[in-house]
Amino acid sequence: MARFRIAWVVLVSLAAGLLTFGSAQSAQQQTLVIGGDWTDLITLDPGVAYEFSSTPIDDNIYQRLVQFDGTDLSKVVPGLASSWDIASTADGGTTITFHLKDAKFSTGRPVTAQDVVWSFDRVIQINGPSAFLFTDVAGMKVGSTKALDDKTVQLTLPKGVNPQIILNMLTFNIGGVMDATEVQKHIDGNDYGQKWLNDHSAGSGPYMLDRWDRGSQVVLTANPEYPNPPSIKRVILRYMQESNAQRAAITSGEIDVAYNFTPDAFNQAATDPNLKTIKTDSFRMQYLGMNSGPGAPFADNRVRDAVRYAIDQQGIINDLLGGLGRPMQTIIPYGLMGADTTQYYTYDLEKAKQLMAEAGKSGGMTVEFLVATGACGGGVPCADLAAKIQSDLAKIGITTNIKQTTSAQLYTIYRQQAAQLVLAEWSPDYPDPNGNASPLADYNAKSLAWRNVWNDAEGTKLATEAATSTDPAQRKALYAQLTKYVAQNGPYAILYQPYVPIVTTAKVQGFARSAQGDVDYAAISKLP
Amino acid sequence: MLSFLLRRLGYLIFVVWGVGFAAFFISHIVPADPAAAALGSNARPAQIEAYRHKYGLDLPAYQQYLRYMVDLFRGDLGNSLRTQRPILSDLKDFFPATFELTLGAMVFAVLFGLPFGVIAALYQDRPLDLIVRTLALVGGATPVYWLAILALELFHSRLGWLPGPGELNPYLIEPHRITGMMVVDAALAGEWQVFWSALRHLIMPAAVLGAFSTALLARMVRSAMLEVLSQDYVRTARAKGLAGRVVTFKHALRNAALPVLTVMGSLLGSLLTGAVLTETIFSWPGIGSYATSSAIGLDFPAVMGVTLVAGLAYSLINLLVDVLYAVFDPRITYA
Amino acid sequence: MTAPAFLRSKPARRFLRNPGTVLGTALAVVLVVIALLAPVLAGDPLLQNLGHRLQGPSAQHWFGTDQLGRDVWSRVVWGSRISLRIGFVVVAVSLAVGGAVGMAAGMLGGFWDELLMRVTDIFLAFPALILAMAISAALGPSLGNVMIAVAAVSWPNYARLLRAQVLAVRTLDYVEASRALGAARFRQAFLHVLPNTLTPLLVQASFDIGSAILTAAGLGFIGFGAQPPTPEWGAMVSETRNFINEAPWASSAPALAILVTVLAFNLLGDGLRDVLDPRGRTRR
Repeated sequence: MARFRIAWVVLVSLAAGLLTFGSAQSAQQQTLVIGGDWTDLITLDPGVAYEFSSTPIDDNIYQRLVQFDGTDLSKVVPGLASSWDIASTADGGTTITFHLKDAKFSTGRPVTAQDVVWSFDRVIQINGPSAFLFTDVAGMKVGSTKALDDKTVQLTLPKGVNPQIILNMLTFNIGGVMDATEVQKHIDGNDYGQKWLNDHSAGSGPYMLDRWDRGSQVVLTANPEYPNPPSIKRVILRYMQESNAQRAAITSGEIDVAYNFTPDAFNQAATDPNLKTIKTDSFRMQYLGMNSGPGAPFADNRVRDAVRYAIDQQGIINDLLGGLGRPMQTIIPYGLMGADTTQYYTYDLEKAKQLMAEAGKSGGMTVEFLVATGACGGGVPCADLAAKIQSDLAKIGITTNIKQTTSAQLYTIYRQQAAQLVLAEWSPDYPDPNGNASPLADYNAKSLAWRNVWNDAEGTKLATEAATSTDPAQRKALYAQLTKYVAQNGPYAILYQPYVPIVTTAKVQGFARSAQGDVDYAAISKLP
Repeated sequence: MLSFLLRRLGYLIFVVWGVGFAAFFISHIVPADPAAAALGSNARPAQIEAYRHKYGLDLPAYQQYLRYMVDLFRGDLGNSLRTQRPILSDLKDFFPATFELTLGAMVFAVLFGLPFGVIAALYQDRPLDLIVRTLALVGGATPVYWLAILALELFHSRLGWLPGPGELNPYLIEPHRITGMMVVDAALAGEWQVFWSALRHLIMPAAVLGAFSTALLARMVRSAMLEVLSQDYVRTARAKGLAGRVVTFKHALRNAALPVLTVMGSLLGSLLTGAVLTETIFSWPGIGSYATSSAIGLDFPAVMGVTLVAGLAYSLINLLVDVLYAVFDPRITYA
Repeated sequence: MTAPAFLRSKPARRFLRNPGTVLGTALAVVLVVIALLAPVLAGDPLLQNLGHRLQGPSAQHWFGTDQLGRDVWSRVVWGSRISLRIGFVVVAVSLAVGGAVGMAAGMLGGFWDELLMRVTDIFLAFPALILAMAISAALGPSLGNVMIAVAAVSWPNYARLLRAQVLAVRTLDYVEASRALGAARFRQAFLHVLPNTLTPLLVQASFDIGSAILTAAGLGFIGFGAQPPTPEWGAMVSETRNFINEAPWASSAPALAILVTVLAFNLLGDGLRDVLDPRGRTRR
């Protein structure tokens, strides 16, 4: 009999649970649930985080000295610093002096110049994946950042470093300021508080890290110390790798925003009155890398030209991407200063075949084609894109043997200059044309030009000149020269600049995503 | 019995060591650089060198192995190369969800596989038997990932009967973590709304994961029952005039318990494999998803941790099954 | 005429009486024929036509087209060659490796038996898909490596099976007799043990062809299998799974192909057991 009674209690409680389901409704309006593939998330420590997924989250937790004006990435506006002055130093370098606003961390402590110094030095001491931005690009060392008083910070840059580039760079999460007093309380051994920051936050942004259930969700809650309380009190980033799962969940209202729709699903969602589709910009570009080293299959620029003529760019963008990409053939994409949107190549098989013949390859050639697993830019599976390129190149006698590996393995091979043909995606480390020009054109930067063994004096010269020039007009002119030169001589066949497809429910208002991937959660609200 | 247990324990240690060694060996012939994987595609060569040095990846393999073993004896599985977190805390985070899913699948399998098997045996060669056998055959041959995709599309997207991917309605606050199993924790906390949501979220993935086991169990139960039913003592019992139903359940079912136990043991061990595929599609935060993303990210210590735990679980379950065998069947004794 | 006589034999009659067995055999034969006749039955499995993406089944495309406008029927038909090859090769390799290990353990006994069987335990305890994933990651994804990976997780069954058989047969009178007469151990093995173990091996092999195909397809699904654009069934389900709304046929056709193939070999295994091992008729 007792067993029966327990069963009843359970049943009644279940029924009660069902009835109280309605009370969750009010909380729903203040909660934003984003479904996405967050598997690349490693840490939310702003001094270490360097993944596509972590930056946009950190930007809502940690304020930087300067930030971009919403989604307009051409304008740097005040963040924690209300103003700043740039001055030259005696040895040809520069200083940037920042004047701090009054702001409070989520811990209740005020943001001071000492916190800025500690946060910046910490990045250099940890020397994590993003630290090269400070050490290599900005030439910073421990001690380069000084607190002149509680509200003034001075950053000293060596000669040859362009302060404009550094200001752009400081908008990135690496410039996030954390509560030094709080983090120092939680240091474990030599870890600068990294372990504690895995599950906690100490920033001054509108949100703070509430919990992070690995593989399941990241939960942010509104920072009570933030001056303008946001309408959304709780942001939940739900791990959902599968495009289908996101689609199912947004249709049933279990998530408000979906990040990984396939192009076909996106275009179908556009016709659904309950959903909103947003094509957001990105600085990413999808490209083919061709090994141009001596003796390599693409050593002859005529063969590379043939590939550029043989790629059916329109077919890829219209059919495979369903319009979720823009034709792009140069190394500086839409949205960056010096963007070059000229179409240097049109789809021309005859021309391509002729170039192959001129290069002495009319008999055809066979190359290994490295492709990563997973989705490529615009949400199209890399395998599909690779198959399309394989069939395009077959038409001019280039046989490609697709070798699909995890991206970790792909990059291992690529880094050893051992890839023949590779399908990859690039995105600049910071929104400045130099973020593309130097790695893609300068062999000495040991990045893409190096990986594709394209050692070209002209490319190196133009990229270096443009990087150090402080005259905006001159920089622009140099980049115009460089983009044309690399488009026609470089080791790349750039395929397209993808859009990032975002789908939200019709209730979500004010969702905007910058080309860098940043989303200001505080600007979002939800209709009842 | 005691010496049997000791010997088996010795085996177990050897097997788990072997599993770990094999995992280490395989990890180190991977022609890819875990440091490069951890640092992302834009990392500079100098950074990669520093990272390799920091984590001892530049040491010869045998030294890395020694280090690993020394740490292991201190109960330390090392740190994840990707997340820098201790593997042990990662496993603590991810394992309960898989355990919950696996238990759900087992419950599903027993709930359906057992009665189906019994029914099929009782109605041998009649339409009901045929239906069960056909279902069991199809269930045993269906790719689990396709079943998952179909189920999600049908029961969630089209019919709306069951909630979508994930463990819980996101608008609900998770219960305080005690066991790590959402359903159990919600019940312990007395949060019935959360409990109900978690349970509803569990149904579909558990059923999909359990489909294969259900099919196999139904087949095993059926044949075990048939074998027992044809044996003399059951016939005798029947002849003595006991009601048919009593005969069936008292004798047949108890004797069919042994093969059922065997299947359950081996199923529990192999469910992890199915979980890899099911968890991906249902966004289930379990060890399967963890293993996959670790393997893709070349996070060797993490892969080894998962493998060790899985190997240990498998060996323990087998040992348990053998012991239970002795308990159920007095004819079996272990010297 | 010998054929009718064969068909009238007791095992054959038992075989033919079971509709499931007949169905399984018929399906398996049809599948092999389809695989052999792929060039006749189907067109180019790689031919793309972006203008005809995700089209429904029609007279021209029996199973519709996929996301690159490829003919799904052609891909499924050519895919049968891959899946069947995986099934047969994996079982052959497992049989060879597992058989050798099991027989050695059984014949040598003592220390070697212990050692070999514990090594077998290690492979049994290794989570199958993770082992396969690791091997595939280590050697690079390719069809050959898929076969190695799947064989690595399936050979222990044969080792156990053969060892058990060897131990059982060894105690039989005629083996004892031949040993007394001084026959070498390995001659014993081949002359007496092997023929007697064929029955359970054949049954196990039949089931394993099915499960090898299933595991290989699972590997293909998570991207550790055949290279694109190879029409491997698991990879096909994976590549088309996001189009379940727009083009359910594109993922269902290869999935059903896997189902039917695995089913066929399972039915065949059931039937073989009934025929070859009458005592075990009711066991499963």
